[in-house]
Amino acid sequence: MTTIQSPASGAAIAFRDVTKVYRPDVRALDNVSFQIHRGEIVALLGPNGAGKSTAIDTMLGLRAPSSGEVRVLGGTPAAAVAAGKIGGMLQTSGLPEAAKVGELVALFRKLYGSARSQPELLALAGLTDLAGRPVDKLSGGQMQRLRFALALAGRPDLLFLDEPTVGLDVEARRHFWQSLRTITAEGTTLLFATHYLDEADANASRVIVISHGRVIADGTPTQIKSSTSVRTLRAATPGPDPAVLLTLPGVADVRVQGDAVAIRSTDADATLHAWYALGRPIRGLEVGGGGLEEALLALTGADAGTGQSTGTPVAGAVLAGK
Amino acid sequence: MIAFLRFEITRTLRNARFLVMLIVFPVALYLIYGTQKGTAQNLTIGTLVLVSMAVYSGMGSAMFATGPQLARERQSGWMRQLRVSPISTPAWFGVKLAQAILMIIPGLVILVIVAFALGHVHLSAARLALLVGVLLAGAIPFCMLGMVIGLMFDGQAAQIAQMITLIALAFLGGIFIPWNNLPGGAQMVGKALPSYHLAQLGWDSAGGFALHASDAIVLAAWAAGLAAIAMLRWRQEATAAA
Repeated sequence: MTTIQSPASGAAIAFRDVTKVYRPDVRALDNVSFQIHRGEIVALLGPNGAGKSTAIDTMLGLRAPSSGEVRVLGGTPAAAVAAGKIGGMLQTSGLPEAAKVGELVALFRKLYGSARSQPELLALAGLTDLAGRPVDKLSGGQMQRLRFALALAGRPDLLFLDEPTVGLDVEARRHFWQSLRTITAEGTTLLFATHYLDEADANASRVIVISHGRVIADGTPTQIKSSTSVRTLRAATPGPDPAVLLTLPGVADVRVQGDAVAIRSTDADATLHAWYALGRPIRGLEVGGGGLEEALLALTGADAGTGQSTGTPVAGAVLAGK
Repeated sequence: MIAFLRFEITRTLRNARFLVMLIVFPVALYLIYGTQKGTAQNLTIGTLVLVSMAVYSGMGSAMFATGPQLARERQSGWMRQLRVSPISTPAWFGVKLAQAILMIIPGLVILVIVAFALGHVHLSAARLALLVGVLLAGAIPFCMLGMVIGLMFDGQAAQIAQMITLIALAFLGGIFIPWNNLPGGAQMVGKALPSYHLAQLGWDSAGGFALHASDAIVLAAWAAGLAAIAMLRWRQEATAAA
């Protein structure tokens, strides 16, 4: 049984000035520094190609940084992997052919020194009824559960999950996060990358946002959400003209589909006021936002420096690594 | 380690291609050619063809332990998953080598039974033991060859490369047709191949003739050279931005 350790007992993951250059013009990681303490549950967010997978690969020792230092559980990533202290669920990991679910799970148990019993492992991943099934006959979601079982086999101190719930249905996702809560309660440090922002919001104690190879925000989900005042206004109005709507105060971007309009605004009150002042009927108005999605869009949009994101104000102490 | 070896062998034995190409096919050839009476190369036909088929089956089985399977599992990302598990690279190589050596046993055992039962073969225990030892050790260069193929080619291409290599080794090495009957140029090539030298060692063992050190040296050189290439490719891949 792993004991829950205080943050003072050392970082689970430490990045110090890490840069990864694939080609002279491609900086997958650009001078990244952060620490993840033991027992934390951290979501790594960011658009595709932001550097999330590269960051995870360097933590797993699958890639060496071009410069800087990555420490995992107080040592090198390779040492942590060799000691069986790391469980990894990789985004694109195939599964061996002509093997059965139970055999593969048993193999990983043995590779990791039988840290969990076979029935426990199968139950955690929801595979109990599938133990005798050939791996090639599994559905996408079942394969994903099998990868999860392999990642848990060693009762790892540190668990990496790269897009863990892709291909899982609602019920399987629920079971998945339930199992993860069991595991994090044992003190396991969890780092996961996901595109399902509700998962990050509900499960992570901390969110790190990466864009263009840099950490652009780092804080609790609440802090990240409050870092933006961006709201999404949705309504129907006859014959909307995007060019006119873009001139309204606070508008960052406008999407129009038939009569339906979606406006992202950094100042919802001013935008609404001006919109009504246009004198056209506005029906079914919904103001969404304050969610992680809006915050992330604002953060990554501002970072990309796109013309339409008009100086998104970012408040709070969440900006880091710039 | 043992668990990993057992896992790898179990799933290979489920592979129909392995069973057909490397056990059923050589046994069928043996029944056609090996059950004839007569002698050639100072051996009875039965013994000669037993060694030929055992060498063919052994080469193919050893290559099968790595080869196309490694190519597919590199591509699918399974090798990446293994690199995140505690199994080390040297341990993985060791398992693959052990697997290659052990996997020649099913074909060999069946061929020996068929040859003794139907091919009028009577080898003394000493000669049979020597033959088995030669074939087990002789699996090593072919395991390395399969590894090189699995690391150089991707997916389906590895499958094709492996089949072509195996057939070429068998023909040019004098296993499917006598080496003396090959055209001059093909003889030159064949004599440089590991298949030729493994077959020579096999026939000499079965016939009770002196083994030539030169055969063993050529096989060892092939094993070392191919192992070096495999290591190089492996390291390139481990550090590449794949």
